[in-house]
Amino acid sequence: MAAYLLWPTDVPADLKLPSVDETQIFDAALLDETEDFERFLRWNDIASNVVLLVVLVLFAWRGWRFARESAAGRIGTGMLLGMIGLALVWIAQLPFAIAGIWWEKRYDIVTAGYVEWVLENWLVLGAQFLFICLWLLITMALAAPLRDRWWLAAAPVFAGLALLLAFLTPYLVPDQRDPEPALAADGRRIARATGEEGVDLKVQEIGDLTEAPNAFAAGLGPSRRVVLWDTLLEPPFDRDQVRVVLAHEYGHHESGHISKGLAWYALISLPILFVVARVARRWGGLYQPRAVPVALLALVGVSLVVQPFDNLITRRMEMEADWVALETTKDPDSARELFEEFADTVLQDPDPPEWAHVWFDTHPSIVDRIAEATAWENRR
Amino acid sequence: MVSPHPVRLAVEDDLRRSRLTVFFRLLLAIPHFFWAVVWSILMVFVAVVNWVATLVAGRLPAGLHKLTAAYVRYLTQLFAYLSLAANPYPSFTGTDRYPIDVEIDEPAPQRRLITLFRLPLAIPALTFAAVFLASYAGGSYSSGEGESPYAGATTSSIGIVWTVAFFAWFACLALGRMPMGFRNLQAYGLRYGAQASAYVLLLTDRYPNLDPVDPLSTGPLHPVGLAVMDDLKRSRLTVFFRLLLTLPHLVWLVLWGLVAFLAGIAGWFAALVTGRLPRALHRFLAAYLRYVTHVGAFLLMTANPFPGFTGTPGRYPVDAELPEPERQNRLVTLFRIFLAIPAFAVSSSLYTLAFIAAFFGWFVALALGRMPRSFREAQAYALRYGAQTNAYFWLLTSRYPYSGPSLGQPEPEPEPELAPTPAELPA
Repeated sequence: MAAYLLWPTDVPADLKLPSVDETQIFDAALLDETEDFERFLRWNDIASNVVLLVVLVLFAWRGWRFARESAAGRIGTGMLLGMIGLALVWIAQLPFAIAGIWWEKRYDIVTAGYVEWVLENWLVLGAQFLFICLWLLITMALAAPLRDRWWLAAAPVFAGLALLLAFLTPYLVPDQRDPEPALAADGRRIARATGEEGVDLKVQEIGDLTEAPNAFAAGLGPSRRVVLWDTLLEPPFDRDQVRVVLAHEYGHHESGHISKGLAWYALISLPILFVVARVARRWGGLYQPRAVPVALLALVGVSLVVQPFDNLITRRMEMEADWVALETTKDPDSARELFEEFADTVLQDPDPPEWAHVWFDTHPSIVDRIAEATAWENRR
Repeated sequence: MVSPHPVRLAVEDDLRRSRLTVFFRLLLAIPHFFWAVVWSILMVFVAVVNWVATLVAGRLPAGLHKLTAAYVRYLTQLFAYLSLAANPYPSFTGTDRYPIDVEIDEPAPQRRLITLFRLPLAIPALTFAAVFLASYAGGSYSSGEGESPYAGATTSSIGIVWTVAFFAWFACLALGRMPMGFRNLQAYGLRYGAQASAYVLLLTDRYPNLDPVDPLSTGPLHPVGLAVMDDLKRSRLTVFFRLLLTLPHLVWLVLWGLVAFLAGIAGWFAALVTGRLPRALHRFLAAYLRYVTHVGAFLLMTANPFPGFTGTPGRYPVDAELPEPERQNRLVTLFRIFLAIPAFAVSSSLYTLAFIAAFFGWFVALALGRMPRSFREAQAYALRYGAQTNAYFWLLTSRYPYSGPSLGQPEPEPEPELAPTPAELPA
């Protein structure tokens, strides 16, 4: 029922996307380059995920032995096992991550040095450690009184935490600054047009680390914000294209995508936690730290399985935000030019293979986005 | 059985100090400063000659050994005088007997490979010696036309021996005596400094020993102790990720610390009124303090296992031993926060040592799967002193922290007299 209510978008249900021939838009050399670039990253990701599963299977098999490194109680030992599991995954995936960075540096997408990158990655691992500790604290604490029904109570607790995190995210993004007057004026105009006048606009300075353009909408209620990477404010992107990006991000707020995303999260987390609880039950349930390695495997495994569905939801939301952007700017030409630039600047494959699109892509393909802009134009 | 280190510290100091010479100590030492600089410049060249000679001959020639040994003794005596670890004015030759003196064995054969790489090998030892004996004060200043018309930054760092000397100066002036804990801590630093210089200057190829435990200089009994039941074995995986694995504990430590702070304030008022810390607050603050010790021991790799989050006694291989609630002097309680300042300063210096030991220990533990005993002992010393300082600050005890490296041991319980067996009974 909830899924049925969350599913519809503002994109007209009868919208037919016209067929777009990528070879008519991009030259053959660029298409080859984007295909090569993404192919390597795709297979690198697949290999990395295979290694992830292998490591977690091994950890589920023998990881319990690490409990001897703990002088903590039940939950503390569970936390240690969870962190060690992530640490082993980090070690196993590091070569793939470095390969990915090497590949992106080769194409000048990433400008950060390897040491800088590994350091940042190390800090991300620290955040993951804190996350898994909190996750295990909640689940293992609930497992004490509720035993195998802990997942029923854990799902709303995690939804609440996700809500809190969504609210706080805008304040956690580093290196934000106010936009220049012209950009701020564009932001105000678009915010007014989308009915989101209370939503702040900020610029994140990230050009030292990457050349990739990006923007995002974050926050809930009074913390809502649109953040533009400073890489978007440099050529080849012009002011009209930036307006499209702004309208897209304000469109996310207008369509309530962050709240809807949280609702989807709450909805999906329930069966995921149920599966984790069922799997862990065979090892004494999550009350026992012994079950943590296998619970970790179940959690990651199920998350990988539902990833295509997650991606489908976010692609629908992105499509809707694109639609709002077109309705707001009424500038399909700039939208098309913007999407074409993505192929050039970040070497995004305009029309990836279907399986890769389903598994990896959180956004519609460039070809689909161009088709949507054309469809919007055709309906006028 | 490990043979004694060829460079040893002999302490024959009676702790008495002349207030007059203490007051003018720095000025009185001015002639020594000049002489120490001249001799040190000479020793730079002598060190190079020592290196070549030891590489060629496999041992330091007797003449060079004598000169270098005199220099090490002189520097140690001078530092002892400056830091108030000893009272009399030292000689300029480094050959006369002094209350804090260095005993150096006769020249012995040295391994050429170790001699060849002596300087890089000495980096950890020199770092530790710097933590004990170096002092640095520097800064930068700029004035420009930017947004801020003034920008300045200063940094300073002071070695353990000099931190102690600062507070000892006041104590000696007031009491005419050097507190034993301070003197023994300085002796530890001076001993390490002497061993490190002897290693660098090629008097010996035996590495300096960071172990603070000196059975010859035991101190008084103290109600706050540290129980160490660690076997030195370390898991390489948890060592590699030690800092990140500690993160949840650091978060919990901060949260608990906030509550402990409020409990401490409540306890302070209660102790002022009733003359003792209420039992419930004592239990709560003791658990917090034990937890601080457990987390510190885990972070510093003083112990191996992941600690619990509750500060339960007896559950961790490095554990703070805390006393039961006791009556406390209200006047001391009133001024506790100010009285604890010297102890916190010394504790912070010792933690610097413990962190440096953790830094080098991290590499050793990764390579060998073991923590060097001397590193572990130095860290345990810092943790013990930290626990004593915190226990004093949080009103768990009214006994001031003892800063010497070795605590006294309680007398063993007398064996119960056994009833004579029938065979022993007189016929």
